[in-house]
Amino acid sequence: MPTITIDGKELTVDEGKTVIQAAEEAGIYIPRYCYHPGLRIVGQCRICLVEIEKMPKLQVACYTRVQDGMVVHVNSEKAKRARQQVLEFLLVNHPIDCPVCDQAGECYLQEYYMQFGLYDPKMIEDKNKKHKAVPVGPHVMLDSERCILCTRCVRFCDEISKTSELGVFNRGDRSELLPYPGKTLDNPYSANVVDICPVGALTERDFRFKVRVWYLDETKSVCPGCATGCNIEIHTSKARPYKNEGRRIARLKPRYNPEVNDYWICDYGRYGFLFVDDDSRIQQPLVQKDGQFNEVEWDNALYMIHGVLNQALENGKSVRILGSPQMSNEDLYALKRFGNEVLEIHDIPVTVKPLEKPYSDDFLIREDKNPNTRGAALLGFDTDHAATEKLLADCRNGGVHSLIIFHHDLFKGFAAEDVRSALDKVETVIFVGSNMQPTAELATYILPACTWAEKDGTFTNHAGRVQKFDAAVDPLENSLPEWKILRRLAKQFGHAFAYFEAEDVFRDMAKKVPAFAGMSYRALGDRGMVINENGRPSQQAEVKEELTVVSK
Amino acid sequence: MNVHDKYKPLTWWDKTYIPLVIDGLSVTLRHFFRNIRLHILNVLGIKTKERGAVTYQYPEEMRPLWPRTRTLHRLMRREDGSPRCVACMMCETACPARCIYIVAEERPDVQIEKQPKIFNIDLGKCVFCGYCVEACPEDAIRMDTGIIDIASYTRNGMLLTKEQLLNIQPKVENYVARPDLVEGQPIY
Amino acid sequence: MQALAEAAGKFIFFIGLIVLQIAAVLTWVERKQSAVMQDRIGANRATIFGMRMLGMFHMLADMLKLFTKEFFIPMGARKFIYLLAPMISLLFALVGFAAIPFGDVLIIGGREIPLQIANIDIGILYIFAVLGMAVYGVVLGAWASNNNYALLGGLRASAQMLSYEVAIGISLVGVIMVYQTVDLMEIARAQGQLLWGWLPQWGILWQPLGFLIFMAAGIAETKRIPFDAPEGESEIVGYFIEYSGMGFGMYFLTDFLETILIASLTVTFFLGGFQVPYLYADGFHFPWGQVVLLPNIVVAVLQFLSFLIKLILLLFIMMAIRWTLPRFRYDQIMHLGWKILLPASLINILITAVVLTLIG
Repeated sequence: MPTITIDGKELTVDEGKTVIQAAEEAGIYIPRYCYHPGLRIVGQCRICLVEIEKMPKLQVACYTRVQDGMVVHVNSEKAKRARQQVLEFLLVNHPIDCPVCDQAGECYLQEYYMQFGLYDPKMIEDKNKKHKAVPVGPHVMLDSERCILCTRCVRFCDEISKTSELGVFNRGDRSELLPYPGKTLDNPYSANVVDICPVGALTERDFRFKVRVWYLDETKSVCPGCATGCNIEIHTSKARPYKNEGRRIARLKPRYNPEVNDYWICDYGRYGFLFVDDDSRIQQPLVQKDGQFNEVEWDNALYMIHGVLNQALENGKSVRILGSPQMSNEDLYALKRFGNEVLEIHDIPVTVKPLEKPYSDDFLIREDKNPNTRGAALLGFDTDHAATEKLLADCRNGGVHSLIIFHHDLFKGFAAEDVRSALDKVETVIFVGSNMQPTAELATYILPACTWAEKDGTFTNHAGRVQKFDAAVDPLENSLPEWKILRRLAKQFGHAFAYFEAEDVFRDMAKKVPAFAGMSYRALGDRGMVINENGRPSQQAEVKEELTVVSK
Repeated sequence: MNVHDKYKPLTWWDKTYIPLVIDGLSVTLRHFFRNIRLHILNVLGIKTKERGAVTYQYPEEMRPLWPRTRTLHRLMRREDGSPRCVACMMCETACPARCIYIVAEERPDVQIEKQPKIFNIDLGKCVFCGYCVEACPEDAIRMDTGIIDIASYTRNGMLLTKEQLLNIQPKVENYVARPDLVEGQPIY
Repeated sequence: MQALAEAAGKFIFFIGLIVLQIAAVLTWVERKQSAVMQDRIGANRATIFGMRMLGMFHMLADMLKLFTKEFFIPMGARKFIYLLAPMISLLFALVGFAAIPFGDVLIIGGREIPLQIANIDIGILYIFAVLGMAVYGVVLGAWASNNNYALLGGLRASAQMLSYEVAIGISLVGVIMVYQTVDLMEIARAQGQLLWGWLPQWGILWQPLGFLIFMAAGIAETKRIPFDAPEGESEIVGYFIEYSGMGFGMYFLTDFLETILIASLTVTFFLGGFQVPYLYADGFHFPWGQVVLLPNIVVAVLQFLSFLIKLILLLFIMMAIRWTLPRFRYDQIMHLGWKILLPASLINILITAVVLTLIG
């Protein structure tokens, strides 16, 4: 274990680490363009030059292995000057079109130039013209002029997505990043190159010119796109609502979690947020009358639903529930209590398998497109598709008086005539969900639930990791989280669920359900905790904050 | 009496207020007779070095604007007539009154890439601080039109759109050097 | 019958053609004089066919506005008194002019007409009565408005006017002592006599202190700056806060009429009234012996013009004071009224008595 000194700080690091990694452990930030902890090291950009005693020349921090007794000076005059010069060379052919560049505000060229730029440039030559605004894939726009040839994106395509669409062509100052002839950057992880691009060469086409990044608010969240539960950040544009075509959520960005998704997310999840601000959102409780949906107040809707269900129960008729693994643990727990205590239903199916088998791979994208199937199973719901089939069969036989459906569009999992014939036999269909869809249109009562971006909660991913997500925006109009809907409905039946925040539900759940024992929002942290079948939670992963740029 | 003996107790003579009243009257009447003399001379058509009033009769008589006065905004055009603005939102960000509303769109010219689709300035909110002009990297917005009579009967009338801002005709003559005050006689 | 026609003629001439017109012009003077004093131009935006007439049309515009605006009666107001109060106020401001002599005697067809609307023997008492009644319009209007601010204004007005009426009354005792009469006509006539053969015996000569006290107290009676605590636009707006339209217009007019009344009284008591120096009933008798005989009509006109010019000069000074001084604090008003003007007027009586006794 070599012991080294970086800027006067002495520390012992693992064998085989490079200086930049060691410095990061010491909390010292060394500028970098080509170095990315998730990718192979190439030593391409030379911005990370540091002075190492007894070495005649400056060394790149990213590629130099630590040796015992090494003394590194990150901020010596010589190193600083060298970095200044390197930055100047990188900017030789950079167009400096920050006003139109979407990267402005999160651009490493800007960051470092503010820190140690040479404010008196010496270059007088004309800049090279290269390709501008080339759509290299469905999600990515390339501007070769802005590229500083760090090859992070090339390495990403080689190593992570293993599709190798991008390469650097030509030589010298004509070198240019382009896709290989005949190839487009259309792998399912393509937009990650935008995240890792330190400059504005690769930008998102979907986010292009929508909002400047400094208007965005960030909220830590979890992707609801599949059972992997990638950690994400929701970027919202709340302060300037006229931007981004009126949508509140501007984009999703991956959040580092070494236990789940590392630095990456798939494009499926990245662009899966559009339903949040979609026109199909249900904003008000609706009651169907003669094929027309009429808006009603929450209290009226719940009063009517209580009347229907209560009468059915008193007459000994059957009331059934179809839950959803799209719901958070809190919502499912509230649903379980509602089913068990209020309606005395103990078999609640949740899963509807889609008719077509969705795309999946062995990296991040899983076949199960629901974020919380594991959580539903742990809470005692029936996660078998057959259970839902049986429920529909019961409906078809006329054995079900009222059916409460959460979120599911049954037409995606069953043949249309099967669904219709089943739901036609049901006296009252109550739909709780966020968006209007064919199944909802068959319902008598529709209650607006809010989306995952509008509420606090937790998902349990396929590996049993319970991860917390925060509300990024306020619930749309009169929509409510499902647990709140169930709390209010239970109150109509005379049952008091003493929950005021999602955290209250989770606390109660952690007490009652062994798999979640010992967990709390505070303990979950940013990385989450793995549920323990023995009733004891696993050790929480050590939280290592990503180092941000340290100013002078 | 100057400000420094503000707290000096009044003497018996002062307390009758007579000297103070005479003091005040001497100032106001001095002004009155000086001004009335100038006014009468002006009415008779005799030019005087001074004028009888320091005020300007605004709609008829424009107060000359100093060259750095910030007046109504305008958007500049490129040589081909397209807006010089690239919708970088610097002005929008700098604006302390949040009166600028920009929505960007793709520009056909790939070398410039970006242009404003919507560029509204709500003059009802604008505080004429000039930060937008300072912030603009393209010299696309200026506050040098010389137009200061901005008013509307509706709130919407105070909202200037991109087209309006691009087509504002500057009144540079309002910026001419201060005329000799003898020339501008007051209106009675 | 003839006496009635005579009185009506004098009334129409003096109050209708002179006093009310001066009051109207005063609104213009107030605007323009203040403007000139403050290096401004003043109101000049009202035009008729593009003519501005130095802003004269603002009088018309004001009148039109006040007549056409809604006369609003606030909720909870005593409606009858609310309507009556401005009229009372205006009435007592107008009747005061009945006792003012604006000329000596006009002879038409052998008939001697004294140029005074009502030849009252006890003119000074009548004036005191009228001035005393002026406060009722204010207090009633303030009380009937059902508004706290109006009531505050009314309270201040009553306190202030009571205090200053004392000073007014006592300051005039000196005048009565000097001229040995309470008839205003007689007082005015007495001021035509010469002292040592060349100096007109105007009241200001015998009563300089009385003149100052009367002016100060008189301005306080008009409730104008610097004694405008009852109005005090910046703090309580005043006793007429609820009045709009012509109700306010009447208070507004009263303000100016009272100013003219006080100025007329000052002229009558202290500035020789209608007297022109050395002008007698039959013409000028200069001290160096020259005599210029004039017909009675010319003498009457000269006397009337003399009265008018003195009045206008005094009004100018009162306006200048109004635009020069800031408002007194309420305690300062009371201090001035009770602790300075009252003792000073008493001292004035004492001095007058001593001097009169010494002269004999």
